[in-house]
Formats: sequence, structure tokens, C-alpha cells
Amino acid sequence: MSRIPLPVHPAPPRASSRPRQALGLSLGIALLLLFVAIRLLAPEAVGDVLSNSVQDFFTLSISVVIESLPFVFLGILLSIGVQVWLPDGFLLRHLPRNAVIRRVTISMLGVLLPVCECGNVPLARGLILRGLTVGESLTFLLAAPILNPITIITTYQAFGWSDGILVSRILGGFLIANLIGWIYSRHPSPMSLLTPKFQASCAHAHDEVHATRTRRSVDMFAKETSAMLPALFVGSAIAGLIQVAVSRDLLVTLGQNPVLSVFALMALAFVIAICSNVDAFFILAFGSTFMPGAIVAFLVFGPMIDIKMLALMRTTFTAKTLVQLTLIVGLASAALGLGVNALA
Amino acid sequence: MLALIGIVATVWLAVTGRLGLYIHPRYFEFTVIMAVIGAVLVVAAFAFTPLEDEHEEHDEHDPDASALASGEHTHEHDADRGRPTRFGTLRAAIAAVIVAGAAIALLVLPPATLTSATATQRSINSASSTLDQNAPALVGGDTSQFSVKDWALLIRQNPDADYYADKAVDVVGFVTESPDDPDNVFYVARFAVTCCAVDAQPVGVPVYLPGWKEQYSADEWVAASGTFAANPGSSSAEQLLLMPEDLASTEQPDQPYVF
Repeated sequence: MSRIPLPVHPAPPRASSRPRQALGLSLGIALLLLFVAIRLLAPEAVGDVLSNSVQDFFTLSISVVIESLPFVFLGILLSIGVQVWLPDGFLLRHLPRNAVIRRVTISMLGVLLPVCECGNVPLARGLILRGLTVGESLTFLLAAPILNPITIITTYQAFGWSDGILVSRILGGFLIANLIGWIYSRHPSPMSLLTPKFQASCAHAHDEVHATRTRRSVDMFAKETSAMLPALFVGSAIAGLIQVAVSRDLLVTLGQNPVLSVFALMALAFVIAICSNVDAFFILAFGSTFMPGAIVAFLVFGPMIDIKMLALMRTTFTAKTLVQLTLIVGLASAALGLGVNALA
Repeated sequence: MLALIGIVATVWLAVTGRLGLYIHPRYFEFTVIMAVIGAVLVVAAFAFTPLEDEHEEHDEHDPDASALASGEHTHEHDADRGRPTRFGTLRAAIAAVIVAGAAIALLVLPPATLTSATATQRSINSASSTLDQNAPALVGGDTSQFSVKDWALLIRQNPDADYYADKAVDVVGFVTESPDDPDNVFYVARFAVTCCAVDAQPVGVPVYLPGWKEQYSADEWVAASGTFAANPGSSSAEQLLLMPEDLASTEQPDQPYVF
């Protein structure tokens, strides 16, 4: 068998031999059993040493994790379905020609790819590689986390129709994403918005990685979970901590001020980086203390821009682009939030 | 790795019937099904070496180490390129802390209900959204099945003392002191949950029992019965207080929250 790697295509994945597969599988099962054992053997009395507040911190944080985990998995499964199992180029061939309608359609693509905002970055990269313009890709990146069935369902579950939060989130997300796409479509040289490395990748056509679809699905699931779950766990811990540690008076004062509440929750959204699929549940905890405009700002700004997203996007876009993006999206979200508060 | 921790915790809670401490019952089936699917996929991932990402230039890892490490690290391979290895160690350390913390929280600590600390923090009966939802046909309804939530809502809607003169109240909840009159009034309270424990709002029925602290402590579960009467002059903001005829400690119910 030839051992010379081909110059343009990536080397095929190392074949997993049967013994190695069995070993890997046993390791996975052993790890699972280890966790089960820890859970079963942990003595009940451990909880007694904790004070009430600490106990509540854990209860609250754990509840966010347990609530969110199935939605995260669902999102990843759907994304895998589209990325791995749909015929190549299927989506792009069916996009309309007119620029504006094209962007509108792209912002709805989130319906087909209901994954956390983090999962959308690799997807957006792939789309640029397959011919989408930078502006269009940004529209997708910003719209998909909000305009997808899972996010809409969970937002509805958390807030119902009250205070126009659901409607504002959907409309706001749609408008801001298309605004960004339009702004960047007018940029004289869109490719300069990309990092040099990524530009180089765009210059070569990349083949699909050679592996069975099952293997790619399994692999993608593992990669996505290892990318998203740490953010989920840390975000949940922060949520629990804020609930327990921040004095209620401070929260109420901040929350009831029509201007400060918006900025406070936008700052929180930036830091928290929780999956858009389930961030409605997270912010519901603040639902009674903060004004609806602040909640809307959180729900619109968070899925678009946060620390984690910026880190992921930095692989593709220049820092200057990201700063501009943050500013524009931030201002638009703030305007939306302040507007909702004014109407409330 | 984190996925497995989360999945094991979820399934164990479901099997021991304590999932309701954390999430609303309507999510039970969905949660368990997704957890099982997730478990299958994550364990299956251990059988394969991680595929090269199409944008990565070369695979730097020893395949055996990769198979072991898949799922353990937070590294997005694209972001790793060009970074000094010092960051690599830092990221691994942070990942280890997160995994350890998650393991302790989800696998070691026993499941618990929210305590009175949260009830105080969230100011009992204050959430108008909780109280407005789905008010049962209270006036003229069958009050024998009312929970603390129903009663809390009713006495807000209809603070007329005469209305309650013949209505027996029988509720179970945990004890938490009244913010306005902690020595004479306590609440028999429970948490009303919309989606998961993080949005729990405390609701409760105020009970008038001067010196209650000598007999009961906060977080203790009690069964109380009696009737409502007008506030006899306590500094509590409530207009109606429960005059207890019968008050006894009970066990925390399997499902401590009300929905």
C-alpha cells in the first residue's frame, strides 16, 4: 500500500483496527461504569456539611445542566444529520439569486441546523469554503442560533407570550443578522475580513474527509460535546453563583432600571456564553427581577456575541472585524432592549 | 467526559425518582431518551481515533493518546495552532478542574431540594408571574385539595376574612421565617417551578404562631391545618394569617416542588 501522502488532500484517517476499536470501546464503557460506581457509592451524609447557600448553589447549577443537556444533544444530532447525511452542496444549490432574499433565506437556515451558536462556526466556515460570501456567512452565524425551532420552543416554554419577549427575540435576531449581512456585503474586499490562514484554505478546494458516515457522526458528536459542554457547565455554575451570592436588592435595583438593566444583562450575556438553545431557561431565573427589555437584549446579544464565540470566530475572522461586529451587534441589541423597556 | 458525567447523573436521578428535584416532570422522558442516545454516541466515540478536521494541517497526536483523550479536552484544534504550549497546559488544567468540579457536583453530592435560603433570597410570594398563571377556579372550588400555591394565590385575590371562616386548610410545606415578623409568623412554603429549579419561586401560606422558633426550625417540613383569620396585629404585611389547629413535622415529600 502506498505510504506517500497526497499533496493536496489530507491523509486518510488511520484505520482503526479491530483490537484498537475494542480497546477504545472498553475504555469508554469502563469510564461510564466508573462514573456510575462513584454515584452509587457516594455517601448521603456528604451533603450535610454544606451550608444552605452552598447547597442551593449546587442545586441551582445542576438544574441548569440537567435541563439543558438533552437540548444540547438534540441540537448536535440535528446538525450532524445535516452536515454528514445530506448530499453535498444540497443547500447551496437551492439558494435564491437575489442578494436580499438570499440573505433572508440564509437567516432561516437555522431552522434546518438547530445547533448551539458554537456549532455554527465550523458550519459557517464550511459554507464560505463552498462559495457563500463573507456577509452571507455572518448572517447565518448570527441568525441561526436564534431562528431555529429548538431555541424558539425553549424560549416559548420559558416565557410564553408574555411581555413580547419571544416576538422581540425572533424579530430582533432576524433584523440584526440581516443588517450585518447587508453591511458587510457592501465591503469592497470581503476576503480581507478573513484571517490569512483561512483565506489560504479558501484558495484550495478541500475534499471531504474519507470516512464512513457513521464514523463521522460519532466523531462529530464527541467533538461537539467536548467543545460545548465545558461552556455549559461553567455557565451553569456562574448562574448558580449569581443567584446565591448577589444580594437581591442589587439585582432588583439593577433590574428595574430601564437603562441599566439592559446593559447589565448584556454584560452577563457576554460573559456567560450559554447555549442559545437553553439560555431562555437560564435567564428565566432573572425573569421576575429584570425588565423585559433587558431579557430581550440578553436573548438577542448572547447567542450572537460572547467570549466563547469570539474565540471561535477568531479562527476565521480578523480581530478588527470582530471588534466592529461586536460594536454593531451590541448597539443594535441595546437599542432593541431599551425600546422594549420603553414600550413596557 | 463531561457528557458521560452529565448522562450518568441524569439517568441515576431518573431511576431513583429524584429527577423532579431539578426539572419539571414534562421534560422527564425527553431528558432520559436524549441521555441514553448521548451515552451510546459518546461511548462509541471511544472506539475510534478522532478524525482530522478538514481544516487542520496535520494530526499531531499519537493515535492511542488521541483515542483516550477524545472528549477529555476542551481544545478546538483550530485555535491551538500557533499558540505557545504554555497555553496548552493551562487549558488542560482548566479542563481538569471543570471535570473534577462537575464530577463532585453531579456524582458525589446527594441530590437536594432548594432550601429556605433561596426562599428568603427570592422573597416569598413575590413573583407575580407565578401567581397569575392558571389560577384554578378558586372561588367556589373544592378547597380540600389546595396546595400552598393555591392558597397563597387565593388569599391574594380575595383577602376578605369572612370568606374563609368555614374553609379548612390542610397544607404541607417547609418552614421559612416571615421577613416582616420573624418571631411570630412563619410560612409553610414550597417552590413553584416552571422549567427547572433555577427559576423556582417560593410560595407559601403565612402561619401565626408566636414563639414558633422554639418548636420548629427553618427548612423543617410540616403539615399544617387550620383556618385563615384576619391578621391579629402582627407586623407581617399579610392581611390573612393561618391560625393553626394542628401542626406536625413530616417527611419531605418525594416531590417537594409545586408546578
